Order: sequence, then C-alpha cells, then structure tokens
Amino acid sequence: MKQQLEAIKSTAIAAIGECDSLAQIDEMRVKYLGKKGELTALLKQMGKLDPAERPIMGQLVNEAKAGLETLIGERSAVIKKNETALKLKEETIDITMPGKAHKTGKLHPLNTVLNDMIDIFQSMGFDVVDGPEVETDYYNFEALNVPADHPARDMQDTFYLGENLLLRTQTSAAQIRTMENRKPPIRIICPGRVFRADEVDATHSPVFHQIEGLVVDKGVTMCDLKGVLEQFAHEIYGKDTKVKFRPSFFPFTEPSVEVDVSCSECGGKGCRVCKGSGWIEILGAGMVHPKVLASCGIDPEVYSGFAFGIGLDRLTTTRYKISDIRLLFENDKRFLDQF
Amino acid sequence: MKISLNQLKSYVEINVPVEELCDRMVMAGFEVESIESQGDKLVNVVVAKIEKITPHENSDHLQICQMNIGKGELVQIVTGAQNIKEGDLVPAALDNSILPNGMNIKAGKLRGVESNGMLCSGEELCLTEADYEGAGVHGILILKDDLNVGTDMREVLGLDDYIIDFKITANRPDCNCFLGVAKEIGVVLGTEFKAPVPTYKTVGQDINDYIKIDVENYELCPRYIGRVVKNLRIKESPDWMKKAILASGMRPINNIVDITNFVMLETGNPMHAFNYNELLGKHIIVRNAKDGESITTLDGKQYDLNSDMLVIADGENPSCLAGIMGGLESEITDDTTDLFLESAKFKRDNIRHTARALGIRTEASGRFEKGIDIVNTHYAMERALGLIYELDAGDIIEGEIDRNQGLPEGRIITVTTDKIMELIGVDVDDDTIVKILNSLGLPTTLEGKTITCKVPSIRDDIEGRADLAEEVMRIYGYDHIVGTPMRGAVIRGKKLPERIKADALKNLLCSLGGNEITTYSFISNKAIDTLNLDADDERRNVVTLLNPLGEEYSTMRSQLLTSMLNVVATNFNRKITDARFFEINKRFVPKALPITEQPYELPTLCLGFYGKDEDFFTLKGTVEEIMKLFGAHTEYERSSENYMHPGRQATVKANNKSVGVLGELHPDVAATYDISTRVYVAEIKLDELFAINKRKTIYKPLPKYPAVERDFAFLCDKDISIGTLEKAIISGASRLCEMVELFDVYSGSQIPEGKKSVAFSVWLRSADSTLSDEEIETVTNKILKKLEAAGAELRK
Repeated sequence: MKQQLEAIKSTAIAAIGECDSLAQIDEMRVKYLGKKGELTALLKQMGKLDPAERPIMGQLVNEAKAGLETLIGERSAVIKKNETALKLKEETIDITMPGKAHKTGKLHPLNTVLNDMIDIFQSMGFDVVDGPEVETDYYNFEALNVPADHPARDMQDTFYLGENLLLRTQTSAAQIRTMENRKPPIRIICPGRVFRADEVDATHSPVFHQIEGLVVDKGVTMCDLKGVLEQFAHEIYGKDTKVKFRPSFFPFTEPSVEVDVSCSECGGKGCRVCKGSGWIEILGAGMVHPKVLASCGIDPEVYSGFAFGIGLDRLTTTRYKISDIRLLFENDKRFLDQF
Repeated sequence: MKISLNQLKSYVEINVPVEELCDRMVMAGFEVESIESQGDKLVNVVVAKIEKITPHENSDHLQICQMNIGKGELVQIVTGAQNIKEGDLVPAALDNSILPNGMNIKAGKLRGVESNGMLCSGEELCLTEADYEGAGVHGILILKDDLNVGTDMREVLGLDDYIIDFKITANRPDCNCFLGVAKEIGVVLGTEFKAPVPTYKTVGQDINDYIKIDVENYELCPRYIGRVVKNLRIKESPDWMKKAILASGMRPINNIVDITNFVMLETGNPMHAFNYNELLGKHIIVRNAKDGESITTLDGKQYDLNSDMLVIADGENPSCLAGIMGGLESEITDDTTDLFLESAKFKRDNIRHTARALGIRTEASGRFEKGIDIVNTHYAMERALGLIYELDAGDIIEGEIDRNQGLPEGRIITVTTDKIMELIGVDVDDDTIVKILNSLGLPTTLEGKTITCKVPSIRDDIEGRADLAEEVMRIYGYDHIVGTPMRGAVIRGKKLPERIKADALKNLLCSLGGNEITTYSFISNKAIDTLNLDADDERRNVVTLLNPLGEEYSTMRSQLLTSMLNVVATNFNRKITDARFFEINKRFVPKALPITEQPYELPTLCLGFYGKDEDFFTLKGTVEEIMKLFGAHTEYERSSENYMHPGRQATVKANNKSVGVLGELHPDVAATYDISTRVYVAEIKLDELFAINKRKTIYKPLPKYPAVERDFAFLCDKDISIGTLEKAIISGASRLCEMVELFDVYSGSQIPEGKKSVAFSVWLRSADSTLSDEEIETVTNKILKKLEAAGAELRK
C-alpha cells in the first residue's frame, strides 16, 4: 500500500508539473484529491490494513494529500500568472495608430500675437482700451494736428462714409478719446482695426491692425519711450535685441521717430530678412505734440507724454515668416491650424 | 526727391562715400529710398580694338571681328555694322554685360558663328552727340584713338554720378529741392554750404511799360512777382542743366522751360513762363475763375473751371491754372520771342482742391500743396534771371513787379535750454544747442539759460520747444538716448470687461474645436442679397463707403454671416472636409440713414460648421456651452429666417431676450456660395450677452442623500416637441427634480401612425432625506399627470 501511495504521489507530481491550464489543474484536483480521487480511494482501503499500521499509513496519505494540494496551489498560481501575461500580450495594440482626439481649434495668429503684446504691456501697467472703427474727421485728423488739407493727409488714403465720417486710418484716434476721458497719469494701449485705401497685394491690405500706445505724465521723456520700447523688444524678439531711433515725421508727435530693432534673424550682421541692414523697422513713435495735448485739455507746459503705433499684421507675418499678408484674411483651415 | 550727387556737390562739400552720406542723412531725418549709380547701368563694356575683320560665310551683311580687349587673347564678336575698319577702337559689350537701355548681352552664335559679345552704337549706350563725339552716327561708335584698350567705358564716359532718392517728410517742404537738401548735408557733414548768388544785367527800359499786374485774391495768392524778358534766344540747355533735370525725373525741353524747371528743382519754388505776346491787354490778373470759364492747358486738355479755382488771367481769359499748369495759348515754343516770367506763392489747400477736382498733378502743384516759402519766391526769380543772363537766353527788362501784402517777419521762440531738453531726457550743453540751431539756419542767441531763436519763414514747421528739441536731437544724434524703465507704481494694466469676456469666449470656442477667422469689415453691396432677407429686415440698413476700392468692398457689414460663408466656401472648395469656424467682430448698425453720426459698432459672434460629424445639434451644443459661459437662462424657439432651412433653425433667447439665431443654411443659399454640403451657422449678438450680469459662483454642498433614477417611456403625437415634454417632467418633479435626460425617440413599426415613442431618465433627489417609496410614488404620479396634460400617455 505504501508502494501504491508512492506511485500515486510521483505520478501526480509529474502530472501536476505538466499542467498548463486551470482546467487541467482542476482535473488533477479531482483525480487525486476529490471524493472519488485516487488518494481518497487509498484512504478507503485503510480498513484492510493492520490496525497498528493504520495511523502511520493515514498520516502518510494525509501528508501526501497536503503536499499535492500545495503543489496544485503553486502550479495554479503560475498558470494564472502565465494566462494573465498571455491575455495582456494578446491585447497588445499598435501604439502608432492615431489618438482619438477631442479636437481643439486655434486663435487666429493675429490674436495670438496680440495677446502676447497685451500681456507685455499690461505687465508694464498699460490699460487696454478700445475705440470706434468709424471715426469722425476730428478724432482721426483734426485733433491729431492734421487740419483739413494738411499735406500729411496725403500720407494716408482714407475711406469716407460721410462728409465728416471715415474709417479710422490709425488707432491714434484713441489717444484723443483717452485723453479727453482720463486725467494723467495715463498709460494705455489701444489695439484695433484700421483702414486705408491700399490695393490688396502681398504686403498691403485695406484692412489691417495697429496697437497704439500712449503715456502722459509729468516729466515723461524720450528716454522713457526708449525704455518701454526696449522692454517690449526684449520680450518679443529676445533680450539681446537693440532698439534704434531714426528721426521721422508724424503730425501728432514732436519729435517723431521711426523705431528699428536689431534683426533677430542675423543678430544685426545683415541678412535677407533685414535686407542686409541689420535692422528691422517695427513702429513709429514720438513725444505727444504739445498741440495735441492742449486740444485734449492737458497743459503741455505741465505734462508730457509719448505715443507709439505698432503694426500687428507686420509683426505677425515676421514672427511666423508668412510671406503674404493676404493669407491672414483668407482663413484657409490648413493655415489657421498651424498657429 | 531724386537728386544727382554731382549736382549736390556744386553747393556743398561732400567728403564721404555716397553710402556713408546716405546713412548719415537717414539718421538726420532724410530717409533714402534708393541710391542709383549711373555706372550700374553700364557693366562689362570696354574699349576694344578691331584687329581683324573677316566676312561671315552665311551672311552678306554680318562681319566677324577679332577684338583686342587688352587681355592678350583676342575675342571674337560678330557685328552687322558696316562703318568699322581694322584698327578702330570701339565699345565692346562682353559676355554678361549690361547696357543702359536695359539689354543684357551674352555670348552666343550668330548664323552658326560664335560671337562673344556685341559692338555698341552710341544709341545702344544711350549717348547723344553731345555726350560723345560720333555718338549720333548711325552704326558703331568709333572711339577716340588715344584710349587704352581694355578701359572700362564708365571711365571713358565719366559715369561717376549717383542719383539719390530722398524721402522728404511732410514737415520739410523746404527740402523738396537741391538747395534744401544740400544745406542739410552741410550741417550733417559739418562742411560748407553755398547757395548760388544770382547776378545779371538788364537791358534797361521799364517793366511797367510792358505789363500791369493785379492780384484780386491775396488770400489764395499772397505773393506774385513778375518780370519781362525780351528777344528770347531759344535753344537747347547746357549739359549740366539737362543732366540735373533728367536726374530728378523731368525732361529737358528748351533753355527757357528748362530754366524754370531747374529753378524749381533747385530752390523748391515753381516758376511759370508765359509767352508775353499772347497775353491780351498786357495785363496779368490773379483771380478766381468765373463759373463757365474754361482753359486748355499745356497738355492739350480742356478743363471747365469754377469760382473756387484760382487762375492767372490776361486782360480777357484765364491764361494759366494758378500753380498747377499753364495754358496752351501762352506756351513757350521755339518761336516765342518775349517772355513774362512768374514766381508766386499760392495757398496750398486751394491748389490741392483744384488739382484734385480737375485730376491734375504736376511737379509744381505738388510743391504748392506741400507749401513753399513766401520769402524764397524772390530768390527763385533772381536765380532764374541769373541763369537767363548766364545762358544768354534773352534780354532782361529793368524792374520787377512784386505784389504782396507784407512779408512775414518769422517767428521768435524764447525758451530755456532746460525746457527744450526736458522732453528728451538727455543732457546737451547749451553751446552745442545754440551751435546746432545756428548751423540749421535758425539764428539763435543764448543769454543765461534762455535762448532766443529767430525762425525764418522757410522753417515754418518750427513752432515751439518740441520742434527745437527735434532739430537739436536729429543733429546731435538719437543714439544718445538711453532707455529708462517705466517709472511710478507698477500696477498691472486693466482690460475692459468686454475684452475679458470676448477672450473667455474665444478660449471656449477654441476648446470646442473652433478655429478663429478674421475677415474684412466691408463687404460687397450685393452680399446682403444672398441671404434673401425681407425687404424691411433691419440688416438691410447698411453704411456704405463713399470711395470704396471696388464694389466688392463697398458696404460696412451689418452681419458677419456672409463673410463666414465666403470662408466656408473657400475651404470647402479646397477639399477641406470639415471645419468649425468662428469670428468675433463688429457689425455696423446706422443710427439713421443717410448717416450723419457714427454708427453703432456692436460685437458679434458668427459660427460656421460643416463636415460629416456636424448637424444642427452639434451647433446647438456649442451655443449651449456659450450660454452657460455667460450664465444665461436659455430657450430656443422656432425661427423663420429666409436663409435657413425652414425646419432646422431656432432663435436663441437668453433671459427672455432674443440674442441670435442658429440653424442649417438653406440649400439655395449654400448653392449661391457654391457650397454643396450642409452648413450650420449661428450669429449671436454679443452686446446682449456681454450685458448679462453673471451670478457669482458660490459652492453648493454635495448631496448627502441618494438619488433615485426613474425611466419614463410614453407615446405622444409626433408634433409635440421634446422641449414641451421635458418641461412637463420638470414641473411635475418640482423641487425633487435633479436631472432629466432624453434617451430615446422612436417612431416607426409598432408605433401607431402619427405618434412617436419618447423615453426619459429622471433623477430625483431630496436635499433633506432619503426619498421613501411613498414619496417616489407621489412624485411619479405627478410627473405622469403633467405628461398626460401635455398629451403623452405612458407606454404599457
């Protein structure tokens, strides 16, 4: 009987070792440990044994039973682990397949750039104001020291809506409205749409965008103007960017300057972007003309100020190297998706 | 203003290369548009000697020349000219050369024979007999035989001049001339500037015996100077004068006309020459034209005049359109014997008006419009007479007639140097300030810290300390300005609430897949018709441009939709399968028509969706998110826009106020835009949404008691709206209602004709307790009652 037990044990150990599914393991459990299993059958034969041997044999069988149960437990743990691994392996996916995106859209590039600018100027304490696009002759010209028939009006081709009404040619009109409504210290920018009767081509659009800046306070100087524009240039073009003033003329500022920044493409050495000069013209600026201050009820002997006007479209096309301004207004989705 | 560098050198010493001159002028306020080297137009053309001529086998007129260009090896060039012989020196354009007429010469074959360039005629080098002897001959230009073979032709012809195009700003009309620019150069370079001093002799007699001058309108003509010259000797002008005139873009005509043009270019003052013998009554009257009068000008065109326009008339008729163009009758021709010469100042806006009204623009009118100096008028006349004398162009009659009502004394500005420089923030010492101002022709004296500056009338642009500051700085140098950071308390700048709200809306729309677009504010006047609006629709009240670039851009838009549809059409027709576009911009609403005051500019949102995943409800879902953003209580009602699908459109009501429409575009309208897919559009009045006061967000405690979900499935007539049923459920569930969600709508088999099956899930929850079975039973019955009342019966 002992031999019989050993035979069952060794067969069972081998068989369990060969199991590779939970079903087979269950079979083993039934075959050896179940109510009709081989070990149970052996126990049932105990009656035939000598009573003195029964406890010894009983212990042996029970030990064998426990041993097999442990073995089965261990084997089934291994099998479970393998089966999980197998299942997970089968579930392997092609991670190069496209994501199931919730598509987001984009702001228009002009507004992406504008938001950057607003952020820079807000951080310097500039309030952001708006002005009407349909202006009166007074706000667009007269109050800006451009009286009727002043030759400076030739600098701008104006769209008229009525005798005295026009589409603003410059956001500078907002200077006047601001100065009429606020007392110094004034520190504002006014971004907005402006209009000039330019035929459409790669660099001209009858509709474009400017950002007007205005600071009025006691003791404001041209050095302050340069300081503000330097900070702006450093944030937009990088901290090594240099700012240069060139004398120019605008009726509403005196002195007036064109402002160049060192070319961010070549660092000022001269390249195709800056046409070899090392400088790129980015805006016009100057000290607010005393007549303009006076016409807004601000005493030019007490207060001084500066103003600047930045072309947003140009800034946008240079930032993204957009070759044709018309792309900004065409709104091809493949273009809009890029920014 | 284009000026020859050599001409400038006749007034001022220029001791730096042209590029440096231009750079320094730019930094003094004179932008340079271009520098044109005369030599750039003549490249790789050299003096060459014809060593040997052989006939061309395949041609009876071509000859093959072996040319010595001083490089040892001979160069073979085929020519068709016959006026050459061996040993001649001629100009040879070698391979890759450029001729002044724009031709680009390259090596090639002429009837099978290699030719490595071209022998040039005088005409091909744009030379006349006056430029080089023999240049007028038909055939190759035979050069003087003392030239060295291989010499560049630029050297031979003395093409060392540059033409510089200065951009003169509107405040400096005094620099629209050679002398104005030369004077500035003198200051910038620190070299001496000399204006020509005119001298001449008269032949005696008295001008008053020849002409009478009356100015009737001194406001429009503050000064009029006249002179008479007899016995004109009309001929060609000298080379130097022709070159100067050509460099500035005008054409030489004859000595008298050229002198008037040259003096204008040199002094900035336009002159006018009349044929004295054509002046009826020997009387010059400066007066307004009479209504009905007309004039035929030098260009042969006839213009009808009105009483706003100033003319120079003789005893009977207008003889010249003042400051703009002379009359044909009194034109100077080769046969003219006697001259009446005018130098005058006309009021700039009158010239501008007349020139615009008649559509004429001349060198003279441009200068008068920009403004000329009343004092300088006299110098111009003197200079013209000096040139007439110098060129022996006629006999000058003694005496001038100068009509004016007094000349300005010039402005005196008294200010301290501190006051000048406080605008700049840079220290410039007093002596330097005074020195700079004096060098600019602004006589200035210093006493203590106070300067007194006598501004001559020619610098009328200088009005006060700000102008003086600019004059000092542009010469002292703007590079002395060192930036200072913003001073004062730094508080972050504020945005207007409308901008903050618009920004939030844009971010929301982008996160919902929207791409922002930007379109023009003006549209075609026909665009509005594409929407088939009713005749009395307020969107038909539009503001129009008086001077649009074209019909396409002629109307300020009263809606954004048509611009959106153009963008959708562009994208759809470029095979872009789907898109969600939005634009936030202004619509223009006139207060009255025709407009007399600024229209309302109202912020507006336009949405345009298309693609296979889009339908009315994806658009509506987006609109719902927008309404949530603004905290609006929103309802949708059927609407009846003609441009929308009649069954798929709705008015959006926010807090009981209509704020816009959404829906599917009518297929007929889509077809007008060449769009063959369904498009879903919405236009929302943001002015209404921005005005909503959104309630402040306050935290609501999370529920303590469980919710109960009950499903209701029922039958109702097909035309009962889901919205009606939803409202019935909400009112039935009353305060226990947490959420109502539609999960099925069905009609078809097993559903009676004309009916539909609808199923909702309803979540019920009490804030105070777990709902008991009885409570649930009660509320369920209430819901069913309300549904019954709305015409729905529970499905059994």
